[in-house]
Parts: sequence; C-alpha cells; structure tokens
Amino acid sequence: MANEKETLIKIDEVGKWYEDVQALDGISMEIDRKDVVVICGPSGCGKSTLLRCINGLEEFEEGDVIVDGVSVREVRGTKNIYKLRSKIGMVFQHFELYPHLTALENVTLAPKKVFNMSKKEARQKGMELLERVGIPEQADQKPGELSGGQQQRVGIARAIAMDPQTIMFDEPTSALDPEMIRDVLEVMADLAKEGLTMIVVTHEMGFAKEVADEIAFMENGNIVEHNDVETFFKNPESERAKEFVDRVLVHI
Amino acid sequence: MGLDLSVIARNSNVLWGGFLTTLKLFGIAFAGGLPLGILLGLGRLSSKKWIYYPVSAYINFIRNVPLLMVVFWIYFALPIVTGHNIGRLPSAVIAFIVFEATYFGEIIRAGFQSVKKGEMQAAYSTGLTYTQVTRYILIPIGLRRVIPSLMTQTIVIFQDTSLAYVIGLREFVRASTVVNAREVRSLEIFGFVALVYLVICLAGSTISNRLEEEGE
Ligand SMILES: Nc1ncnc2c1ncn2[C@@H]1O[C@H](COP(=O)(O)OP(=O)(O)O)[C@@H](O)[C@H]1O
Ligand SMILES: [Mg+2]
Repeated sequence: MANEKETLIKIDEVGKWYEDVQALDGISMEIDRKDVVVICGPSGCGKSTLLRCINGLEEFEEGDVIVDGVSVREVRGTKNIYKLRSKIGMVFQHFELYPHLTALENVTLAPKKVFNMSKKEARQKGMELLERVGIPEQADQKPGELSGGQQQRVGIARAIAMDPQTIMFDEPTSALDPEMIRDVLEVMADLAKEGLTMIVVTHEMGFAKEVADEIAFMENGNIVEHNDVETFFKNPESERAKEFVDRVLVHI
Repeated sequence: MGLDLSVIARNSNVLWGGFLTTLKLFGIAFAGGLPLGILLGLGRLSSKKWIYYPVSAYINFIRNVPLLMVVFWIYFALPIVTGHNIGRLPSAVIAFIVFEATYFGEIIRAGFQSVKKGEMQAAYSTGLTYTQVTRYILIPIGLRRVIPSLMTQTIVIFQDTSLAYVIGLREFVRASTVVNAREVRSLEIFGFVALVYLVICLAGSTISNRLEEEGE
C-alpha cells in the first residue's frame, strides 16, 4: 500500500486506580489514523475507563496517552485539554443527551460555544448533521420524546459536530432494542467510510468483522490480544480471546 | 361586638405602604439570594478545599442561627464594626440575602448532585470548558430539578420578611401594628393581614405543586 500507517493515538503503559481497585494495569496500545479499532472484553475489564483516559475525562496515575503528538498528561489541568477533547468525539452507552435541550440544540451547543458560531450557522450545521444520522424531522424534540435509537443517533451527531479526527463509542448499541441496533450500526459504518478514526467498544462481532480494521481483546485492565480482524477471528493467538469469540459468536 | 371592616379601608394608605415594603424586601432578598445560593451550591461541590471549607462553614453557621439574630447583627452590630449606619431596609435586605442564600444553596446543591455524571462528561467530551459546562449543563438541569423546593423556600422567605419588624422596618406587619395602636381593632386588622399572607402563600404553593406534578 502506498500510504504508510501513521500512529494517531498512543496509549503508553497507562495505570489507573479507583481507590484500591485497579482499573487499568499498564495498558499500551497504538491506534493508526483512519483505522477502526474494536475493543471488546468482559464487563469490568476497563474498557470505559480506557476511553475516558484517552480524552482526559479521567485522571490516571501511571503512563501517558499521546493524541496526535499531544500528551494528555501534560495538557491535563490546562486549557489545552479542551482543545484535545474537541478533536475526539464520544458516544455513550446510555446516550447522555442533555435533557433540557432539543435534539438540534444538543448537537449545536458545543460548536456554538466553542467556535462562537452564529445561531443561523449553527442551526444549518446542526440540521446537516441530523440529516447525516437520518433524523432531521426530530430536530425540535427533547431527548425524552425520542426512542433509544433516535437518541443514540443524536448522540452520534453531537459527537461529530466539532469535526473531530477521532470518535470513540462506548457500547453504543447495548442499551438499544434489537430492531434499533441495525440503524445505529449503519450510521457508524458510514462514518468509518468517511475516514474518521474510530475506537469502538462493542460486542457486535458482525460489525467488527465488516467494518473494523483491528480488534483488541481486554481483560483485567490490559490488552490480551490486539490483531487485525481476520487473524483475530480465524486464528486468535490467545486462549482467552478464543473462548470469548466462541461465546459471543454463538449469540449472533 | 361587631366587626368593623371599614378600619381597613380607612388605613389603606399605611397598610399599602407596609405591603409595598414587604414586597420590596422580598423581591430583593429573592433576587440576591438565588444567585448567591447558586454560587454556594457550586462551592459545596467544589473539589478545591479553599472553596469547599469556607462555603460549608458559612452555610452551617448561618443555618444554625435564628434568622432573628442575623437581622439583629446586621442592623445593630454592623454599624458598630464599620462605623456606618446603613438604615433599616438595606440592613434587612442584607440579612435576608445572607440567610436565605444558605437555604437556597443547600437545595441547589441537591439539584446539582442529581445531574447525571454522564451528561457532564458528554459535555466535557465535546470540548466545552468548566465554566461552559457549569453554565449550560449543570445549572439549567440542576435548577430545573429543584424548582418545587425552591418555590417552597421562596414562600418561606415571603413569610420570614415579617421578622424585619423587630428592627422597626415598617413592613406589612409593623404597619398593621401602627394602625392597631391607633384604632385598637386587633381582630379586623390582624385578621386582614393574616388573610393577605394566606392568600399569597396558598397561591404560591399551588403553583409549586403544579410544577411538581408536571415535573413527574
Ligand atoms: N467511577 C468509578 N469509581 C470506582 N470504580 C470504578 C469507576 N468506574 C469503573 N470502576 C471500576 O473499574 C473497573 C473497570 O470498569 P469499566 O472501565 O467501567 O469497565 P468496562 O467498561 O470494561 O465494563 C471495574 O472494576 C469498575 O468497578
Ligand atoms: Mg463500560
């Protein structure tokens, strides 16, 4: 291939404790620009914590995360952390939409405040984003009036509203009814085609097979196996990953 | 002995003047107490010790002192310390703001604590600053959750304003005692005053209950 791989995010021996519970155990991982990386692993293994460490929502005691050349440890507690975060969108398991704002306002709040966009400009941009995720007709509804699938699509529109390089998904479909999962996964697959770097915590192995470039399996706060998708499913190196794959594949 | 309600009409000027003073005191105490209460609520949740401890000390101190004492201190003690007498209405206003803000503050703190951590994290993840998240997420969501309690406390403030009576401020209750001293018609005059408080507070709590039902 002509264009060489270039590391966008480097997770370097990150250790994180909650009181005396160790959530991340010196974890290291590199994510290349424009790659889609799926992270899976049992509940409580530290997946959500890892995502929150990448954009500095959570402090960590050991190691560092380098995002596009910027050290999270260095910018933490300074104004530059806000800039770093604005380049990484995040989508949550339970959507976490702002309940007092409409779908459109959820999407446009950050661009309005961070870029000082005018109301008109923000509205136009917000409507484009809602069209992209397929729910422009819900623009003026509050989150409480939307279905789970619609809420998550607003969540995705909000996450890409700042034109980030990277978007992180934390189990984006696990709180959804089965019939809505497909819609959301389709929106995510579209984003992958547009060249966003994506880190996706999910157990949707169908999505991983079709869309992801790489897949990482985590356990006890560390990576057990990180491989390209084909190898991961056909010849996993680790016994634990193998067991896990067998178990989740049964459910598809 | 029959009721002579004309005593109210005869003294309507004095009573109306007192009522306006009560409204003024109430209005300013509310307008000052609410923003100060928001700041106190934020301070109580601050991770910075130099904010958290003084704010908590202030709130705990004021909430364990009778309002009457606060009114007395501001009116009698403050001029001795500062050398300036600021007058009855300003003294009462300051006392009420200082006092009621602590009650608002604790209600608002509970409201802030009810805001989901995930919603705040979502806001931070888009690149919003601490100030922006506080202003556009934490305060609007948190305040909305506690509107009924804030309404109830606001009704309490309205009733509390009658305590300014003790420093000689001619608010509604004091005005009525002035009228009564001349007319000696306690039943009619104080009955009327009680009725006015009752109507206003009932209206307030009806609205508050409505909001609570709507909230659910
Ligand atoms: N806010 C928190 N406070 C205390 N412990 C936490 C917190 N968040 C996560 N943990 C603990 O850290 C570990 C990793 O959790 P998490 O990152 O949520 O795992 P996953 O997302 O893989 O299910 C778990 O043991 C969990 O109980
Ligand atoms: Mg999780």
